[in-house]
Amino acid sequence: MSEKYKCLNPVGIQDPVDLYPLAPRLDGLEGKNIYLSLGGGGEQEILIPLRKKLLAEYPDINWKIQPSSAGGALSDEELKTTDAVIRGVVW
Amino acid sequence: MPQLVDIEKAGVPLVVIIYEDQDECFNQAARLNGVPNIRRLHVSRTRDGVEEADRLIKPMFDALTHPLTEKEKESGRWEVPDERIIFEGALQEAQEFYQQAEIIPTAQNAPIAKYTDGLPIIVPTEELVEKMLKGTSHKPDELITFQTDHMFGNRIQNRQAEADRRSNRSVLMGNTGIKGDPVGFLPMRRKATVEKVATIGVMAGCKPEYLPVLLALAESGGGCGDGRGRSGFCVCGPIAKEIGMNFDINIFGPGNHANRSIGRAGELMWRNFGGNIPAVTNCGVWGNGLTNCIPENVEALPPGWKSLAEEYDFKRDESVLISVSAGGRGTEFSPGGYRALQKSGHGGIARRLGVKGIPGPHNWLEYIIPGLWAGREGGITIYMLPHMAQHLYEYGFKTKDDVYEWLYKQSFITVAEYRTHSWADVRTGGWMGREKISGQPWKELPDDYMVPAMDDPYENCIIVTGGGEESALYSGGRAPNTQPAYSIDAWR
Repeated sequence: MSEKYKCLNPVGIQDPVDLYPLAPRLDGLEGKNIYLSLGGGGEQEILIPLRKKLLAEYPDINWKIQPSSAGGALSDEELKTTDAVIRGVVW
Repeated sequence: MPQLVDIEKAGVPLVVIIYEDQDECFNQAARLNGVPNIRRLHVSRTRDGVEEADRLIKPMFDALTHPLTEKEKESGRWEVPDERIIFEGALQEAQEFYQQAEIIPTAQNAPIAKYTDGLPIIVPTEELVEKMLKGTSHKPDELITFQTDHMFGNRIQNRQAEADRRSNRSVLMGNTGIKGDPVGFLPMRRKATVEKVATIGVMAGCKPEYLPVLLALAESGGGCGDGRGRSGFCVCGPIAKEIGMNFDINIFGPGNHANRSIGRAGELMWRNFGGNIPAVTNCGVWGNGLTNCIPENVEALPPGWKSLAEEYDFKRDESVLISVSAGGRGTEFSPGGYRALQKSGHGGIARRLGVKGIPGPHNWLEYIIPGLWAGREGGITIYMLPHMAQHLYEYGFKTKDDVYEWLYKQSFITVAEYRTHSWADVRTGGWMGREKISGQPWKELPDDYMVPAMDDPYENCIIVTGGGEESALYSGGRAPNTQPAYSIDAWR
């Protein structure tokens, strides 16, 4: 009969996380303030034509272009006047 | 990720654009930050960008306007139990338990070890962990916390970083916090106790006298880095000799128990404390390459050269662990050619340096400068043998700072050349920003204007260690505004 040993858990302690639902979606985009947040080190091959196309073809939306240096963060004041955010490319 | 989650929490709908192969990592990070169902669209790494942009627009608008599903409306709490004893049974069964692997579909169905680095471990029985704990005076249930402040910007004033910290935003991924803050191991931001570090130490094969080093290593964030792993650690001060680290030939190779097992413990922390699972929680590329933890040979430093610990404001007789850049490449000169350069001024290096027939000491670093900033920016970390450091001292570098300053000056390149660097597009804000030294807009600088390829001489780092044939290793530099040094003595 082999001796039995109690063996310890090496896994780190995961703090509980409160989970939140998504924000309600919009009923339409016309006239809305939408932030286009473009990652600086991301995929400029996609983001530059995307930005051009959105600004040219969807003038009814109030586009706000966030500089890449902001890293996707919006201030509390910006959030108050923002209806939606498009962020890319993440990572 | 915290910034993105804040947007949804503020009631503003968000859609993100991401690569499909990183989706699971995004999913894990979103849950960790409290909003698990953030809507995202996948783009291709290889398809034409204009076509991808066209394809994105409709689903992007849909993601902002289509009503939420029941799952997306869910709230709740994510909890992971933490049981002190994870297995009870015979040693052989325990070995099999710790060696279990799970198939990871997003890693092309590769099996990835659940608790180890893939190799067998020493089973962390209660008895062995208790023995390991004799290596410190700290209590087993003590949480690993920062023993001193480690904020981004500590060494260079950065008020924005402090403001960001106070607003609970992460400004530097990994190892930042103020004294007393618990260390969050990345990518899963888990915490650890002294007993868990001792458990890792047993698994890695460490001896109890290494435990203060392991605890300092844990304080530094373990081998986790920003979640994608950290490449190197250097031990400075008396403890390196006390625990029998190898200072001489083969410091990065196998054979020395302390060098290898402490490095391995860092990797086991990455897996167990950080929760690293490739292609699930970690979207790095190559891994970290951490094998050995190595010592600095403080006693062999030239007169007037600070130890690494002293560079970070510790005293020379204090024992300190410092996270450093490791790996990289070796000098391409032959050891015999190096000796010929220094002894009589003969050979290829002497011809390149224009000192043919003139005995040394010569600045051998000149040999590695050409091409060093051909496609990269930043300083370098150089691992050099004691007598190669001595040659630099005799040449005229009376301090390490002299070498750092010299390297900084060598890094100047023309704006025309800098325009051909890849990261420059990002660092210059798409060339819309201003050059730091002149304050002039990048676009207005003439082609022959000289700019440094690093921001600060202190991006360079010298580690004097090793032994044997004349060669040196060099890799990426350091962030001059961080404090990557952690007291080992605080954990004795």
